[in-house]
Amino acid sequence: MLRLPAVGRALAGASRSKVSLATSSNVRTSVRALSNMVEVFVDGKPVMVEPGTTVLQACEKVGVQIPRFCYHERLSVAGNCRMCLVEIERAPKVTCSPKEPYGLWNLCAFTILSIYFLHTPVAACAMPVMKGWNILTNSEKTRKAREGVMEFLLANHPLDCPICDQGGECDLQDQSLMFGSDRSRFTEGKRAVEDKNIGPLIKTIMTRCIQCTRCVRFASEIAGVQDLGTTGRGNSMQIGTYVEKMFMSELSGNVIDVCPVGALTSKPYAFTARPWETRKTESVDVLDAVGSNIVVSTRGGEVMRVLPRLNEDVNEEWISDKTRFAYDGLKRQRLTQPMMKDATGQLVPTFWEDVLTHVAGVLQSVQGSEVAAIVGGMADAESLVALKDLLNKLDSELLCTEESFPVAGAGTDLRSNYLLNTRIAGIEECDLLLLIGTNPRYEAPLFNARIRKSWLHNELQVSLVGHKVDLSYSYNHLGDSTRVLQEIAAGTHPYCQVLAQAKRPVVVVGSSCLQRADSGAIFSAVSMIAKNARITSGVQDGWKVLNVLHRLASQVAALDLGYKPGIEAIRKNPPKVLFLLGADAGCITRTDLPKNCFIIYQGHHGDVGAPMADIILPGAAYTEKNATYVNTEGRAQQTRVAVRAHAHVIRTAVAGAPLPYDTLEEVRKRLAEVAPNLIHYDDVEEANFFQQAHELSKAVSQSLLADPLIPPQLSVKDFYMTDSISRASQTMAKCVKAVTEGAGAVEEPAIC
Amino acid sequence: MLLSSALRSALSHAGTHVRSLHRSVARAAAGGIFVHKDTPENNPDTPFEFTPENMKRVEAIINNYPKGHKQAATLPVLDLAQRQHGWLPVSAMNKVAEVLEIPPMRVYEVATFYTMFLRQPVGKYHIQVCTTTPCMLCASDSILQTIQNKLGIKVGETTPDKLFTLIEVECLGACVNAPMVQINDLYYEDLKPSDIEHIIDELKAGRVPPPGPRSGRFSCEPAGGLTSLTGPPPGPGFGVRSDL
Amino acid sequence: MAEYVNVLRRAVSQITGHGGVRGLFLQFFRVNDMKTGALVGIDKYGNKYYEDNRYFFGRHRWVIYTTEMNGKRTLWDVDGSMVPPEWHRWLHCMTDDPPTTHPPEPKKFLAKVHQINVSGTKDCYVPYSTTPKKIHEWVPKVGQ
Repeated sequence: MLRLPAVGRALAGASRSKVSLATSSNVRTSVRALSNMVEVFVDGKPVMVEPGTTVLQACEKVGVQIPRFCYHERLSVAGNCRMCLVEIERAPKVTCSPKEPYGLWNLCAFTILSIYFLHTPVAACAMPVMKGWNILTNSEKTRKAREGVMEFLLANHPLDCPICDQGGECDLQDQSLMFGSDRSRFTEGKRAVEDKNIGPLIKTIMTRCIQCTRCVRFASEIAGVQDLGTTGRGNSMQIGTYVEKMFMSELSGNVIDVCPVGALTSKPYAFTARPWETRKTESVDVLDAVGSNIVVSTRGGEVMRVLPRLNEDVNEEWISDKTRFAYDGLKRQRLTQPMMKDATGQLVPTFWEDVLTHVAGVLQSVQGSEVAAIVGGMADAESLVALKDLLNKLDSELLCTEESFPVAGAGTDLRSNYLLNTRIAGIEECDLLLLIGTNPRYEAPLFNARIRKSWLHNELQVSLVGHKVDLSYSYNHLGDSTRVLQEIAAGTHPYCQVLAQAKRPVVVVGSSCLQRADSGAIFSAVSMIAKNARITSGVQDGWKVLNVLHRLASQVAALDLGYKPGIEAIRKNPPKVLFLLGADAGCITRTDLPKNCFIIYQGHHGDVGAPMADIILPGAAYTEKNATYVNTEGRAQQTRVAVRAHAHVIRTAVAGAPLPYDTLEEVRKRLAEVAPNLIHYDDVEEANFFQQAHELSKAVSQSLLADPLIPPQLSVKDFYMTDSISRASQTMAKCVKAVTEGAGAVEEPAIC
Repeated sequence: MLLSSALRSALSHAGTHVRSLHRSVARAAAGGIFVHKDTPENNPDTPFEFTPENMKRVEAIINNYPKGHKQAATLPVLDLAQRQHGWLPVSAMNKVAEVLEIPPMRVYEVATFYTMFLRQPVGKYHIQVCTTTPCMLCASDSILQTIQNKLGIKVGETTPDKLFTLIEVECLGACVNAPMVQINDLYYEDLKPSDIEHIIDELKAGRVPPPGPRSGRFSCEPAGGLTSLTGPPPGPGFGVRSDL
Repeated sequence: MAEYVNVLRRAVSQITGHGGVRGLFLQFFRVNDMKTGALVGIDKYGNKYYEDNRYFFGRHRWVIYTTEMNGKRTLWDVDGSMVPPEWHRWLHCMTDDPPTTHPPEPKKFLAKVHQINVSGTKDCYVPYSTTPKKIHEWVPKVGQ
């Protein structure tokens, strides 16, 4: 594999020296002066590109797609599939001018000579352009070269497209149709490679592998799990783990998308659908607070799979395994019809009319703080505003979220206090990152992938206060006690000198550590650290230092709408009627409430909340509704209806006092009245009140507890089952089993 | 007509084409498959630890490379591990990865690429018989046959007393002294069947016979005696104009 | 003139041939017809089979169902399946030989005793889907 030396060094893991990649497109390079630009021609069309641009990128710039297998714009350049061969027409001037920057390219001087004098086709993905080159993307020689490469690739590739899950979305299939020959001259037998068991998510059919090494590069560069590699040589070379080992990363599913052939496919999706028969719905993931953009593939009202959707600001083109594979949880343990407790205390299915009149009666019988509501982690903004209006009409202000947040000081009044203000993409611009009490690898895998990317390419220095965990990159562990936090805030910790030298510092505090009793004190310490870092670094006002990394998709929208974080208010003031909107974290139980408390549960899964309810109203999950979710950055995004839900709940008519809206548009209008940023889709509303928030946080008189800061998700087995959907998913259960007992423990259908 | 020509072409195909791929013997002997399967003698728990002397050597090797580039030392350190253990169990590869602070997979990649890293147990004497064209023309087949008869093993096998492993290899670059075998690090050249029998007897007796050509010539001098440089070297002024 | 006499005679025989006024009305309400014919036979359940070849083909053979069959009152609630197979073939003109003169061959697949047709009752067969459920609902645990 022809890896650039800088990447190889960075990949070594142990090495702390990181050199930014000059030719890679995924690194933000400073804008160069136009005078430095190089003029090249693509099929005679002139185009100006930066020096160091590869031939392939120059062609992309004029909209010419070069066929490729191993090249992936987010991975390092391997140049081993040779599919991107193009002919270069030399420019006569360049060869004889001694002033041209030959020194830059003396490494590839031989290749360049051979291009000039032998007219060898070059691999477009690895060859930097030079001034005056004319790249011929459709010449006779280019086509001949592609055809030859394709013939070699197909020499060992099985012709099993009809039974291959990649069929219809296979790069090899498409490109052999476009660029390949119509017959093969090989009469020899094909190579066969043993399949590997690399876990319950990824199915391997290694005979189909064309050794593009995209999966190897993804694993080592993006996922940071150096388990995949190429073993052997020549015809017997294969991709694998050499020893029997699972490829267990929180991002492992992305190798399925990255694989250009059917060698790595999805195990749960195996033999279930074809890409051309599914309906694709663009949506947003709600299983964590990152709000990854996804495409939900459905067929016949059933979610067949979930794929990532490109969004450079959020998830790039990756999604976590939970997002990708927990969809089978949407088909199990569902609440499909209204239920009511009968005389024996058993929940029995009933009719909507009965249930709604009963609920209306119950709600009319209470006033003020006798009624309260708790919302869970997957409630959408529309439901949140409707529930809030409903309870406000009943004169109740007891609307709480399951997830807690310090209310001392500025609390949730200032929006900048509870957002990931720097934004996910902003991590690529910072040079120092301090993580506090969080494990982003499992709480927000794509945020962690961003950190790793920045760590790899931009020399980002990461430090962690909290439990020592494997974050897939090296970091400076400052300890897990709250005393460290206090010392950094007070400026007595040695780390403060490092912090003081940072140009663009970022402090991220995990919402998991704000669930503690001393969250107010922790937050004020973090606020102090951020304040000090801002002063010492001297960054402009536009740069945000303080960040909160949430774990629940509904939290930011709920706080925007004025929900109270945490259920302390309800514990102190037990209500007569409690409305649970998808509250499945189990933070409140029957024992916390008075005996005759009437519990209404609305949600989509029979998980933790439903069994304690008196009345269950089935709701729609995120794939079944048009809804608004706000991610941890404060970015409002919409989910779309992929599967028609079997139940629509209109809460408006329930109470005696009907709410003034019936349709989605009217609810959104109401949302705009309450919090206009919630309908500014795909946009982040700026929030910048750090100064005021810091002043207010000084008033916090809480003291820090001695307990160490330990996030709840420590290892990969804690990652898979965290909410009602993933807890209902069999795939996720298999993952947990595989992680704890080994890949062999998971029984697979014999056909796989 | 058409049918018969198709039939004929099919028949001729069957006659001339062999539907299999060539596999070099060397590769087959160097461990066969490129995945690891746990066996009683080769598993992650196989005891392997660098000896203190070798640990010093490892440090010296690492110091040959710039700081932060320990990965560059993979090849020599793997070789050192193989020399210490005789072959490379997976535990030795893990140890090398640990010493060099790189992921084990990067070591496996290297160890599986090079055929001289032996990932399967071999005997104390690893006999590599060259059977490439020049040696074959000089009757390397008789050498191979002699070894097989003498040791009672076939190519790729190890004697029951774990003393000899026999493999066939491609050119070892000593064509001028063909036929030749390599036993561990030593080349035995210009062999006749009686020579190789003698060598094996010596090895069995615990002695290491001197390496080099068995025909009596020095190194790779011409087999029929020197054809040039036969006389003493001429002194200064040789071939120079007499008037200078 | 003789034709009209014949018609009149048949009319009289149809009115009187059912056992008085009560029988006539019973016949009329059960069968919606008052035709009379030659009694060809009675099966083991008591269904009576008639034939009158003066009627148009298809109307020339008919059955008057029994009033009680296998414990079920069939005075008004009659059903086509009450005809046993051997009479079914004669009734539907598959043969002209009634089972009275040509006893049926015993077949092992023929029911010994007639089973009442359960269509339309709660015991009737309802087709069900054999495809797996797309959504599995949550079932609350008993005793919670």
